[in-house]
Amino acid sequence: MTEKLIALLKASGVHAWEVTDVVTDAWEFYFIRHKLDQNRAVSVRHVFVNVFETTDGCKTLGSASAEVPLGATEDEMKKLISDLSYRATLVKNAYYPLNPAVADEGENVKIDVPAIAKAYIGALRSLPETATEDINSYEIFVRAKSRRFINSNGVDVRETYPSSMAEVIVNARRDGHEIELYRSFTSGECDEAVLKEDLVAAMRQGRDRLAAEKTPALGKVAVVFSSDDACEIYDYFSTRLDPAMLFRHFSDYKIGEPISDALAGDKVTVRTVKTLPGSSENFSYDREGAPIRDETLMENGVPRFFTGGRMFSCLMGLENTFIPTNVVFGGGTKTEEEIRRGAYLEAVEFSDFQVDPVTGDVFGELRLGYYHDGQGHVTPVSGGSVSGDMGEFLKTMTMSKETKRNDNIVYPKLTRLEDVTFAG
Amino acid sequence: MKAPFSPYLAGIKPGLRALLGALQPHFEYLSLLATDSKGLAVRVSRHAKSVASSTMTTERGVVVRAAKNGLYSEYAFNRFDPEKADEKADEILAALNAQFALLEATGTAVYDTPLLPDEPETLFVEKETAEMPEETDVKALVEKMVALQEAALAKDERIIECMVNAQSTHISKLFLTKNRDLSQSYVYSEGVIVPFATDGEKTVNGYQGVADIRGPEIFDTLGDRLDKAVSTAVELLSAGRIEPGEYDVISSPEVSGLIAHEAFGHGVEMDMFVKDRALGKDYIGKRVGSDYVTMHEGALCAENVASYAFDDEGTLAGDVTEIDKGILKTGVCDALSALRLGTVPTGNGKRENFEHKAYTRMTNTVFDSGESTLDEMIASIDYGYLLEGMESGMEDPKHWGIQCILKLGREIKDGKLTGKIVAPIIMTGYVPELLGSISMLSSDREVFGNGGCGKGHKEWVKVSDGGPYMKMKARLG
Repeated sequence: MTEKLIALLKASGVHAWEVTDVVTDAWEFYFIRHKLDQNRAVSVRHVFVNVFETTDGCKTLGSASAEVPLGATEDEMKKLISDLSYRATLVKNAYYPLNPAVADEGENVKIDVPAIAKAYIGALRSLPETATEDINSYEIFVRAKSRRFINSNGVDVRETYPSSMAEVIVNARRDGHEIELYRSFTSGECDEAVLKEDLVAAMRQGRDRLAAEKTPALGKVAVVFSSDDACEIYDYFSTRLDPAMLFRHFSDYKIGEPISDALAGDKVTVRTVKTLPGSSENFSYDREGAPIRDETLMENGVPRFFTGGRMFSCLMGLENTFIPTNVVFGGGTKTEEEIRRGAYLEAVEFSDFQVDPVTGDVFGELRLGYYHDGQGHVTPVSGGSVSGDMGEFLKTMTMSKETKRNDNIVYPKLTRLEDVTFAG
Repeated sequence: MKAPFSPYLAGIKPGLRALLGALQPHFEYLSLLATDSKGLAVRVSRHAKSVASSTMTTERGVVVRAAKNGLYSEYAFNRFDPEKADEKADEILAALNAQFALLEATGTAVYDTPLLPDEPETLFVEKETAEMPEETDVKALVEKMVALQEAALAKDERIIECMVNAQSTHISKLFLTKNRDLSQSYVYSEGVIVPFATDGEKTVNGYQGVADIRGPEIFDTLGDRLDKAVSTAVELLSAGRIEPGEYDVISSPEVSGLIAHEAFGHGVEMDMFVKDRALGKDYIGKRVGSDYVTMHEGALCAENVASYAFDDEGTLAGDVTEIDKGILKTGVCDALSALRLGTVPTGNGKRENFEHKAYTRMTNTVFDSGESTLDEMIASIDYGYLLEGMESGMEDPKHWGIQCILKLGREIKDGKLTGKIVAPIIMTGYVPELLGSISMLSSDREVFGNGGCGKGHKEWVKVSDGGPYMKMKARLG
């Protein structure tokens, strides 16, 4: 069907077009305790078409998109293309060309879905559960996804890559009281070591949360982030490097200028990498057909290269851009001991920690933290909320040299923000 | 007009019946959900405009649910030739048998579940709408939205961007078993205006939306929200930070809806009871709120984006009184969880789409209204805040913690609004304490359907929620 669709698009006279053809075969297993609740298999194909038309003497470009129903007849596809062509003329954006043709170097990895699923089942069954800390339930998703992207400029790339996810609920109980911790793991194939390490830590944290005291009203306090919640902090930086944010003035970052003239702490470095071991996003091409490569986006707090989607990149006059998939954050200069100096709150579990990349607003309700009083005493605490402005925090933020990976993101293992408002 | 049921689904129905027939000898229970939902999404901002036929809920595909030996299995697909039902049956059997082989090889035990009943039922529902998304005048809609976006920019020089989004989806679903034959077709639509304002130092946004179980005709009312969206964005530029603490507050209907959703929406999804993941299981018949708190959940308890005729497991829609005058009465339940708990399903078995598993999910979740006016409620507060606008929420059904991120708080002093605002607001607390502190309700109420709801951090479905203005004590930061 895709070949017929492409032929019809070529013959249609539309200005430009993109076709994305995705075939997914997935296995899913849902467990309550370690008993199988349900097993599922998914076998689907989705074909999407995006038609572009120029207006106002090629000064403006519009697009309209749709999913092509599988089994559509030639006449149905012709009508769809015609309808999209008309709709594309109704919206007017500044003109930009689609990505140019490149040699097909797409990754085509052989995927053994049953073997990956088996690895997950085995890993989740072999955890050191106890009478007081155990696994409540888990869901396993393993996907083999093949994607072909074609556009009217001659791009025609195909990639096949695995992605997998496990969502795990950990219980801890004491004196008749039980709590739960939510953990999810996304990766290419099953990363058993990371899965087990994090879940063993979750069991320990569950135990601590049961013993936690109500967090006191700390007022302004230093907060050290030692869990994946820190990814929200780093997403603030990468989002503000996106041309879509810059062009619309949601970000004021400038190439060659520090992101703040008052950077007194560690300065963040942001790199994109094409391949990151264990990532579920190891693609050679982005969703618009642009080749992905290693690139430094920000170095020691100074933006070096802006990259993102084709339209806003072109509007900003940027060339050779792509939508990043794997991102590595660095710039930390501190040892763990240096980060953990004085009194601070170590936040390890939030109900939902968020950093707004536009406003800089930071907020999250603390479910588990450790209050270090600076005198050697550590108290597990729970409750209350953190808030503040990331635009201020980044001026004195410090980071560990040591990093860790969460799927497609590498980030400093410890991140310290000063003067965070804490409402108990 | 009535939203016409999908000709595609009607056309493949004999083939789907044949597929069920071919699979029948291999399983003790079989059902099938087929979907064909079309949509229209128009997105307009200053520099990026687009038209798409995909929305959050457009889909076309089939999921077969099969049970034997106490185990429920599913196979989802979207390549189907109704003339070749036997081939599809062989494909399904091969895929599930490969999974059974893995489960046997790993010594996996099954969570033994009784067979779903298959009570005879026939239903064909086509709901009313004035327009269909497939047939709407896209040119006129784009022009209307561009005009709104430009009007927002013209209202105040501090407005640097305005996003205007409109999407409408025509849902068609067919549920078949040996004895059940259910078809429904309806249209829901939603639109938002999001202006962004800046003073050079900070950038903030306002947000106003419309949503209803009707067609694209509802976008005619989007313009009525423009002034409020712009004024909120501009007001937020001068907002201060709140001094953290406990305050007397009044939640606007939108915030009341968020509280309903997070507090006793997720907390009484009964698939969580099966896993012992919700405290609510132990509180049925007990007090969880003040006498002012009565809360309903169900596709029939409001007319909004989640108001269907039957759920994704073929259970007819319901209206459940979850909390009656502060006493927790029951939760909501999908079909399999009902079997496991020995209760009845409530019509809350929903899927993100045919490719996803069904879970117990919310539909419309709303607090009942009371007898006070908003003015009376404001006058009753010495010092506190009127809370407006929702950003996000998160619950902890096992611990009854709640987190609501809110747009702003309007200061109330000596029974009057002072004009001072604070933002953003993070409201946290212990659900029974929060609901137990509710002491006044307004006589009106609103229901909002612009949001999506995840289970954990995935499985996004459409829901609506709402309520009246509610006075309570809350911890704000």
